[in-house]
Amino acid sequence: MPSLLYNDMQFTVEPSGNRWDISYKLPSGGSALAGAGLFPGLSEADAAVRALALVKTIFPVGIKSVGPDVTHPNRIGDLKIVGPDVTHPNFIYWDKDSVSSPKTL
Amino acid sequence: MEIKGSVALVTGGGNGIGEAVVKHLAKAGAKVVVVDMVQKNIDRVVKDIKAMGGEALGIQANVTSEADTARYIKGTIEAFGQLNIAVSCAGIIRDGTMLSLDKETGKVSKKLGLDKWQAVIDTNLTGTFLTMRDAAEAMVNGGWQGLLVPISSVNKVGQVGQINYSSAKVADALMPKIIVGEFLMRGIRNIRCVAIAPGYTATPMLTGMNQDALKAILEDVHLGRLVAPEEIASLISYCVENEALNATTIEITGGLCYPKGIAK
Repeated sequence: MPSLLYNDMQFTVEPSGNRWDISYKLPSGGSALAGAGLFPGLSEADAAVRALALVKTIFPVGIKSVGPDVTHPNRIGDLKIVGPDVTHPNFIYWDKDSVSSPKTL
Repeated sequence: MEIKGSVALVTGGGNGIGEAVVKHLAKAGAKVVVVDMVQKNIDRVVKDIKAMGGEALGIQANVTSEADTARYIKGTIEAFGQLNIAVSCAGIIRDGTMLSLDKETGKVSKKLGLDKWQAVIDTNLTGTFLTMRDAAEAMVNGGWQGLLVPISSVNKVGQVGQINYSSAKVADALMPKIIVGEFLMRGIRNIRCVAIAPGYTATPMLTGMNQDALKAILEDVHLGRLVAPEEIASLISYCVENEALNATTIEITGGLCYPKGIAK
C-alpha cells in the first residue's frame, strides 16, 4: 500500500481488486477520496507513479512571481513606485513543490 | 459515440442532476470525473461508483475559477488519457425580484444585490463557459470524439424572481448554436454540443421545499410529478449515442405549462 507525501499532503494508494483507490488526509484529520477503481492492472510500483503524477495535476502547488511591469512604474502624486528588478539574481521565481523547497531563502 | 469506454466529466456531480448523470454514465461503462465544491458529496458518489465496479476520479473545485477548470480538465486527461463527454451541471440560485417596493409608500425599498446577480452569473454562465471551452480545447487537441452538454433550464423563457438565473440559463441554451457554428467554421468535426433544459426536477432543493408550494408547482406540469434526475441522465446518455443530435437545446419538463394550459 504505497503512501505518498506531496506538498505536505499525505496520500494513500490502496489496492481494490486489480485496481487502485487514492485517498488523502484532510487537515481536519479525516480523509477524502481522490479516486477509486483507477489504473486497472497496474503493479503497485506503476500505480504509485501514476498516482503521484495525478495528484500533482489535481493539487498543483507553487507560486510563480511575475512581479510588476518595471517598465511602467506607478506614480502616486510625487511618489514613484518602482517594482523589483526581476532580472536581479536574488529575485526568486518560486515554482517548486513546498516539500522540496529550501526552508530559508 | 459509445458510452462504454468513454470518459465523462460532470461538474456539480456530487448531488442532484449531476450525481444522476455521473452514475448513469458510469453504469453504462464510462469512466467518470466528479467535480464538485463539496468533498463529502464527491466521496459519497465516488464510493458508489466504485461499488458499481466503475472508475471514478473526484476533484473538489470551483467552476468559476479558470485555474480550477484547467486543473480538473488536466486531471481527467492524466487519469484516463482522454475526455469525451463534458456535462456542466454545477449551478446555484439566488432568487429575488429586481426591485422590491415598500407596501405603504410604493417606493423602492430594496434592489436585487449585485452579489446575488454576480454569483449566479459566475457559476451558471461563466462556469459553464469555462468548462465547455477547456473541455473542447482538450478534445480538439486530443482528437477525441466529444460531446459538450451545457445544462440550461426551462426557466430560460424567463421566470419572475430569477432575473439572474434565467439570464444565465438562456445564455447556456444559446451555446450549442454558437459553439457548433464556430466548430463548423474552424473545421472541428469531432465535437458536438447539445444543451439540456430540465423543468422542475426532483433534486433535494425541490423535494425539500414547502409541500404546498411544491403541489402548486406540479399543478402546471402535465406529467403530474417532478422530473426524476435519472430521466435527465437517461436523455444525456441518448444524446451521447445519437450523433444526429447537435447544435440544439432539448427540453425535458414533463409538459410544463403556464396556468390555463399553454405549454411553456
